[in-house]
Amino acid sequence: MYEYFEHTADLGIRVRAPDVNGLFAEAATALFAAIVDGIGTVRPERPVDVHIEGADLDYLLFDWLRELLYRFDAEHLVFSRFDVSVGDAGLAGTAWGEPLDPARHVLAHEVKAITYHELRVEQEGSDWVAEVIVDI
Amino acid sequence: MQKQRYSGPLERIDANCVRIPKGYKPGMKVPGLIFVDDNLLEQVQKDQAPDQVANVAYLPGIVSASIAMPDIHWGYGFCIGGVAATDPAEGGVICPGGIGYDINCGVRLVRTNLGYREVQNHIRELVRALFNTVPAGAGRGGKYKFTDKEMKPLLDEGASYVIGRGLGVPRDLAYMEANGRIGDADPDNVSDHAVKRGSEQCGTLGSGNHFLEIQVVDHVFDEDVAAGFGLEKDQICVLIHSGSRGLGYQVCDDALATFRNAHVKYGIDLPDRQLACAPADSPEGRQYIGAMRAAANFGFCNRQLLTHQAREVFEGVFGSSWQDLGMDLVYDVAHNIAKLEEHTVDGKKKKLWVHRKGATRAFPAGHPELPQAYQRIGQPVIIPGDMGRASWVLVGMPGSMERTFGTTCHGAGRAMSRTAAVAAAGGRKIEKELEARGVIAMAQSRRGLAEEQPNAYKNVDDVVDVVDGAGLSRKVARMRPLGVIKG
Repeated sequence: MYEYFEHTADLGIRVRAPDVNGLFAEAATALFAAIVDGIGTVRPERPVDVHIEGADLDYLLFDWLRELLYRFDAEHLVFSRFDVSVGDAGLAGTAWGEPLDPARHVLAHEVKAITYHELRVEQEGSDWVAEVIVDI
Repeated sequence: MQKQRYSGPLERIDANCVRIPKGYKPGMKVPGLIFVDDNLLEQVQKDQAPDQVANVAYLPGIVSASIAMPDIHWGYGFCIGGVAATDPAEGGVICPGGIGYDINCGVRLVRTNLGYREVQNHIRELVRALFNTVPAGAGRGGKYKFTDKEMKPLLDEGASYVIGRGLGVPRDLAYMEANGRIGDADPDNVSDHAVKRGSEQCGTLGSGNHFLEIQVVDHVFDEDVAAGFGLEKDQICVLIHSGSRGLGYQVCDDALATFRNAHVKYGIDLPDRQLACAPADSPEGRQYIGAMRAAANFGFCNRQLLTHQAREVFEGVFGSSWQDLGMDLVYDVAHNIAKLEEHTVDGKKKKLWVHRKGATRAFPAGHPELPQAYQRIGQPVIIPGDMGRASWVLVGMPGSMERTFGTTCHGAGRAMSRTAAVAAAGGRKIEKELEARGVIAMAQSRRGLAEEQPNAYKNVDDVVDVVDGAGLSRKVARMRPLGVIKG
C-alpha cells in the first residue's frame, strides 16, 4: 500500500509492504500514480527490464525510481505493473506499461526528480516501509 | 515524517531580518539569516525550512551567512528562497542542491504597447490561442526538436543560438541575465540521458508552478524607474516562468549520483544527503559546473522559444507584427542558479560561488553586468506571485550587495503543501473562482490548478514589503494577472 504525505513544495510518497520486493514494486506504482491521474488507465502491455547494481537499499530504491522516471520523460512510456527482485548486489526489475497516449492518459504531475531528502527504507515490525520525496 | 514546526532560535536583528546563531547546530560554520518581518514570521516557523537554513551553514567554504529570503519554504536540502556564497579559495563547495533540479528556472517579462482597453475583450481568445500553441504539462514535447549535433552549440551558446535561427532578434540578448549565455559551459559534460530528455522540450512550459501569464500593470510605485524599464500603468505585459526542463533535472540528478561519496573523499560533514557537494575546484565540482552552465544556457533558450511562440500568438490575434506591438523584453532573470561573482567581504574583493535556490539576482545601478539601458537605474527584478493576486517588478538596490550577495526574493513562496491545497480545493471550481476575480485560466491538469490556487501561496505583497524594507530591492510596479496558461 502507498500514501502521499505533505511536503510544502513537493510530494512525499510513503510505502508499506510485507517484503522488500513488494516495497519496491509498490513505490513504483505510487510514483506512476502521481504522474498519471488514474493509473488504471495504463495497460501493462510492454515489459521494460531494469537492472541496477548496489547493496544499499536506499540508493537501490532511488535508482530504480530514477530509471523509471527517465523512461517516462525521455521515452514517453507509462507503467502500471512492476515485478522486482532485490538481491545482495542489486536488483532486477520489470516494469509493464505502454507508450503515453494523451487520448487515454491524463497526466497529473510532472515529477522532475527523485530526491535524497529524508529518503529511507526500513523494517518496521514485520513490514518494510519506505519514504521518498519527489520534486514537482 | 510529518511536517514539524521549527522550534530552534530566531533572534531578531532588525524589523526585516532574524538570525539563527552559529551555535544552534554543532556543524554550522556561519550563522543563518532569514529576511522576514513579524507579519511573516509565524509562516516561516510552520515547517522545517529554518532548519534547512542552518544545515546549509555546514557547507565548506561558506562565507558570512546562510541566507534565506522572505518567500522561504521547506525544500529538499536547501530551503526554497536560500542563498549561500562559498569561497573556492577556501575549499568552498559547489552544491547542486543549492541550485535545484530546475537549473536556471527563471522568469522573463515581455512588454507590449497595448493598453488594457485594447486587450480586455481579447483575453479569452489570447489565452485559448496561447494554450493551443505553447506546449504545457508533463511529458509534452514541443514543435522545436534539436538533433544531438545541434544541442552542442545550443548548450554552449545559449539564447544567441536560437536567435541565430530566427527565433528572436539580437536585441533580445541584452535584456537577459548574462546576455542569455553563461560562459565556460561544457556541453560534453551533459549526459546523453540529459540531452535526450531536453532535445524535444526546448520551448515547452512544463508543469508545477510554471506558467505563462498575460498581465496588466495596475500600480506604478516609481514612475521614473518604471519608465526606464518601459513600463506604465494599464500596460499589458507577458510574464513567462519556466526553466531548463528535463535536461536540467537530469544534469542535477547525474551530479547528485556522482557526488554520493564525495563527502567521504573530501571529508565533508553534512546533515542531509540532498546537500551532497564537492569542492568547486575539484574534478567532480568542475564537471558539474560545466554541465550546470550548459543547462542554464538551455533554460535561456527555452524561455526564448516560449517568447517567440507568445509573440506569434499576439501577432495572430492582433494582426500586427510583434515589433509593431512593442513586444520587447524588459528582462529575463534566473532564480535557480550558481554563479561565480565578485563580492566584497570584510573590505576584500573575492570571487565567490553564489548559489541562488529560489532567489533572484538584484544588482544595483552601476553594476558592470547590467545592460547599458539599465546602468543608471539598476537591474529589473521580476517577482511572480500567485495566479489570482499579483506579480511585481522591483529594482536592485545597493543593500543587496551589502547584505545578500546581490540577491532578493523570487516569488510568493508556498504557504500550503500540494496535498493540503488539493484537499482545501475540495469540489471547488478554481477556474470559475479565478474568472470571478477577472482571470481567465487554462491548465492541462485540473489537479495542477488546485495545487496552484492563490490561497496555496503567501501574499506576494507581504514578501515584497520585506525585501523593500530591507533595502535589497525597491518596488517599481505591481501587475495583476488577466490570463494564465499552466501545465
